[in-house]
Amino acid sequence: MRPRTLQGRYAQTAYLFLIPAILFFAAFFYLPIGNVIATSFRTGPQADQWTGLGNYAQALADPAVRHSFLVTAVFAVMVVVGSIVLGLALALALDQPLKGRVAFRVVLLVPYLTSVAIVGLLWRNILDPELGVLNRVLLALGLPGQQWLNTAPLLTIIAVTLWQNVGYTMVLFLAGLQGIPETYQEAAKIDGADAWKRFWRITLPLLAPTTLFVSVMAVISGLQAFGQAYIITNGGPGDATDLSVFHIFNVAFRARDFGYSSAQSVLLLIVIVAFTLVQLRAGRRGEVTY
Amino acid sequence: MRVLLYGLLGLASLITVVPLLYMVSLSLQTEAETLSANAVLVPDAPQWGNYAELFTRAPFGNFIVNSLVVAGGITLAHLLFDPLVGYVFAKFRFPLRNTLFVALLATAMVPFFVRMIPLYVLMANMQWLNTYQALITPFLMDAFGIFLMRQFIQPIPDDLIHAARIDGASELRIYWSVILPQTRPALAVLGLFTFVFQWNEFLWPLVATTTPEMRTIPVGLTLFNQEYFTLWHLTAAGSVILFVPTAVLFLFTQRYFVRGIALTGLR
Repeated sequence: MRPRTLQGRYAQTAYLFLIPAILFFAAFFYLPIGNVIATSFRTGPQADQWTGLGNYAQALADPAVRHSFLVTAVFAVMVVVGSIVLGLALALALDQPLKGRVAFRVVLLVPYLTSVAIVGLLWRNILDPELGVLNRVLLALGLPGQQWLNTAPLLTIIAVTLWQNVGYTMVLFLAGLQGIPETYQEAAKIDGADAWKRFWRITLPLLAPTTLFVSVMAVISGLQAFGQAYIITNGGPGDATDLSVFHIFNVAFRARDFGYSSAQSVLLLIVIVAFTLVQLRAGRRGEVTY
Repeated sequence: MRVLLYGLLGLASLITVVPLLYMVSLSLQTEAETLSANAVLVPDAPQWGNYAELFTRAPFGNFIVNSLVVAGGITLAHLLFDPLVGYVFAKFRFPLRNTLFVALLATAMVPFFVRMIPLYVLMANMQWLNTYQALITPFLMDAFGIFLMRQFIQPIPDDLIHAARIDGASELRIYWSVILPQTRPALAVLGLFTFVFQWNEFLWPLVATTTPEMRTIPVGLTLFNQEYFTLWHLTAAGSVILFVPTAVLFLFTQRYFVRGIALTGLR
């Protein structure tokens, strides 16, 4: 039927253009989300027996699940703090009128565009407690070798993650810094504020929106890290680096327990959404306009 | 002060570059050199044969083709759908517009691991596991890309669209000949980001493939390394093959990447 009004015709065109998108997001987002919730209430090898909140109760009481949440929380927090501090420091350096700025920016961004497979395999080779090239170099120099993947495995994969991601936060902060009008710094200079004071009183408050964005993105990506555990440590030694998504992956595809793993996915999703909303809300309160 | 800044940036660059150079060096070493007690940083004679050996030990040719098909296919789909949907939300008024837009943006908050298990079950039920369809279809479009295109299309004057309508152009024609040509810079950003991220994607190809022949490079390489744990020179050669396309693409288009990150904070 041909709509009579012009508005009706535009609406018809709009929906015609939207058909593929509506089908796609229904089939590959909303249907799976519905399914993961439905499966989380079921148990058994076929995930077909109703258990109500049984999987959730089991997960919340399961020491292995609680441990993986703790590991993931530490990982995410450290990655957030590290990427803010290091990214901001590098961005402040690159914001100065230095020669070769573009080259530095390009080099520092390369690891971000590199697969976690490359990053993981490369650093596992470098840091291997026995055959790693770092140890062979240290020994050749007469220095003691390192055992970081055994003694501080979580810190080690945090450092490797920062190695990959800091260039990204640096670029975000650089854009934020370039958005701050020169006049503020000039005015503060005339009033006699030193560089330290200008950083804390002007630069940092005006960067708040960027810092918020960086922290939201880093929390979200930190909470769903997987490759670092799968490739570098296999979750170990023991369960020291058993990141949540790695844990869920193992429960789903190695233990083949779709009900239990679905419940854990939903729990982790709730944590991520809650974190995001809290951060965005806190950010709105502290927002500055200029 | 200047010295300090150069020191900081220089140190950070060294920490970034040296491991990557070592990866290239490792890929050209003999097996004995990779294990020698005196670490070899520059191989005696570059072993280009390592790259050939890789293809005999694992179906590396398949990995490369699979990665190109999957990342390329997903990128094309994004370039086809994201601007069209972005255009509709930028320029049309229709019932439920805001509801649909919120429902779309909400999907940006859904991390992939939430979809992983149900998508696996769905693909298994459709007998799609271990096929290109399974690897491509869950990523045909996304909220980030659509939002980016909408932001870019919104400032295009409505008068251009009205004028084309008065000239009798069809709606599809208006989109294709009036709107799309103006979005080229945004399409470049969208295409580059989509390709690089899909080229590097790890979790879904790991879950959705069951035979070596269907693996993409990141997954094929990682599982190759688990099987041939000591053959680090070959793992490094595979890493270089995975690394070079994105590195070259990035070097030639780094301005787009930097602008893309700065504008939208993609991913």
